[in-house]
Amino acid sequence: MTEVRYAKAVNMALDEALTEDPSVILFGEDVAHAGGPFGVTRGLLDKHGELRVRDTPISEATITGAAVGAAMSGLKPVVEIMFMDFATLAMDAMVNQAAKARFMFGGQCSVPMVLRMPHGGGVNAGPQHSQCLEAWFAHVPGLKVVVPGTPADAYGLLKAAIADPDPVVFVENKAIYSLKGELETGEGEIEIGKARTVRAGRDVTIVSYGAAVRTALAAAEALSDSGIEAEVLDLRTIQPWDEAAVLASLSHTHRLVILHEAVTAFGVGAEIAARMADIGFDELDAPILRVGAPFMPAPFAKSLESQFLPDTEDVITAVKQVLA
Amino acid sequence: MPPSSNLIMPKLGLTMTEGTISEWLLAPGDSFGKGDVVLVVETEKIANEIEAPAEGRLRDILVPAGETVEVGTAIAKWDIGEAAPDIVPAEQAAPATSGDGPEAMEKMPSAVSGAAAISAEEKQPDISGRVIATPLARRIARQNGVELRGLDGSGPKGRIKAADVQAAIAKREEGAILRQDKTGAPAASLSRAPTAYETVAARRLVESKRDIPHFYLSTEVDAGELLALRAELNAEGEMLRISINDLIIAAVARALRDNRRANSVWRENEIIELQAEDIGLAVNTDNGLFAPVLRNLGDAGIASVAKQARSLAEKARDGALSAEDLVGGATTVSNAGMFDVTYMSSIINPGQSSILGVGSIRQAFRPDEEGKPVLKQEMGLVLSCDHRILDGVSALAFLNSIKGYLEKPLRLLVN
Repeated sequence: MTEVRYAKAVNMALDEALTEDPSVILFGEDVAHAGGPFGVTRGLLDKHGELRVRDTPISEATITGAAVGAAMSGLKPVVEIMFMDFATLAMDAMVNQAAKARFMFGGQCSVPMVLRMPHGGGVNAGPQHSQCLEAWFAHVPGLKVVVPGTPADAYGLLKAAIADPDPVVFVENKAIYSLKGELETGEGEIEIGKARTVRAGRDVTIVSYGAAVRTALAAAEALSDSGIEAEVLDLRTIQPWDEAAVLASLSHTHRLVILHEAVTAFGVGAEIAARMADIGFDELDAPILRVGAPFMPAPFAKSLESQFLPDTEDVITAVKQVLA
Repeated sequence: MPPSSNLIMPKLGLTMTEGTISEWLLAPGDSFGKGDVVLVVETEKIANEIEAPAEGRLRDILVPAGETVEVGTAIAKWDIGEAAPDIVPAEQAAPATSGDGPEAMEKMPSAVSGAAAISAEEKQPDISGRVIATPLARRIARQNGVELRGLDGSGPKGRIKAADVQAAIAKREEGAILRQDKTGAPAASLSRAPTAYETVAARRLVESKRDIPHFYLSTEVDAGELLALRAELNAEGEMLRISINDLIIAAVARALRDNRRANSVWRENEIIELQAEDIGLAVNTDNGLFAPVLRNLGDAGIASVAKQARSLAEKARDGALSAEDLVGGATTVSNAGMFDVTYMSSIINPGQSSILGVGSIRQAFRPDEEGKPVLKQEMGLVLSCDHRILDGVSALAFLNSIKGYLEKPLRLLVN
């Protein structure tokens, strides 16, 4: 058991995949010589060589298109999109090609690629470098969307994503690259689509994923002082998401708050809330509340961004509202 | 265009707090004339046909058949013509207590037979509105047979939450008699929802046993002369046959006249002495047990008692009793003689202060003055009494008075 940072955990998973499977290749903007804008791919060029770890031109459409082709012809590309915001440029390759291939070719072809991309704010990167767009991809049949919130989950889920025969959008959060966490070296894959109960509680369920899980936990600890015991669920994967785990938790707390950093409107929380209002209707003792960013572009200024991002207080307010 | 207003659940009797809609005879959109039956309301053990007080049109049914709602709840919306001046909301027509005397009794029929209550929209708070409760609260209520309407919601905007329903269940369980069969296997038992009658009867019986401090006095009556008198009366081949029960009712009526205290009732910390000798008569029917009340028996002759008793018993068996048939009186006669029982200790009907349980007539040897056995015909009487009204002495005086009339029944023939 060692303590590693989030970025290092991703690096370790990539390193092990490159070592174990010769069909795994890595490419993206500045991933080779510079070791990645956040240092995630540092050292991999030296260890695995320039045939397998490549820098690319600044063109997300080209990078992703090449990855789809490589995946369809037998490789397992792991691509880095420097900021999730630029996935907009890769949409055709992702949505119309990668997501559809297995279906359109009658199962005779698949696209085993991983698109790593950091989302999230909190680093004053402005409207075009701070977005959380995971709901877009979760809306597309054929794509899997994984959003790990701890080093151990990043490591285990990336290994599972690389081994997966279908395209996986692997969403990291740039604000927690330096987050430390315990990691069992040589630990295996973590199954995609399984949530984890991070904290047990009886009064309310807070469902979250990615970096926001930490906010949920902080809120739960604060609420505990006033006698409210919140159960915190880390979805880890939002497509497919662990419906059964959320329903099970709701069935004993009877109240649900969904927290994510993404804009609330038309988000992941909306899907979970709608589904639980359906299959969990008779368990509900209060309306389901969502906590997320307001419906506006992420602001640059630190003073504004700190108010834009959902924080502990927002969660506490929502929890108290469902307990009223 | 006639004005639109709420049709509310009328108050059809003194003790009525809620009513069950057993049937809507009209559908939304149907027109009706004055006097047309709009719906049937089941309450106080009887079904009441609610007639329209004027012509109009039913707009909307707010409470479907089968549901029970409190008096005053809006149950439908209708467009109704100018209400006749004699049509008043039943709640106002119904007297506060039956102790108000004949005046009150006169008013009752208008509340009962007639005229469904209407009230102006602006005066009537909209208590027909849907119940606001969480899905979990609804589920728990459904599983436990809890009526959400009327519960206080502690959530935002008065929303009823699971905790509110659980509190109501806990409260109910505190008061209720637990009839759990601890040994019986669940598979061997069947459960069902009680009928409207069973619900009303259960509530009234529980209320009575809970609120009235019962005590019981029992005695045996030598029924020899009573049987002889009846045989003699009926031997003449008169049209009307006199039963032992008719004679018992007449005896109780005379005893009530002689014991004014026994003709009193307790109501909301008031002791009300009734002016007329009215007596309830327990009648067993296919639809349950009813106790319609015979009126003004203090000076009534045996034939008159018998006629009233016959008529009310028939009404009860036909399910034709109205609410006013069931109210009033301080005592009831419940005769179980035909069922082979020696003593029956009964529960007082709510609103009354005693009930006489009558047993079967049995043969028994009793010693005469010289100690020799004599064959007697004996009837066991148990008088259940409300200790707020009667004490041992006054109750015994009443019981002995009844006994005296029954043992010397010729006195019953003298008014």
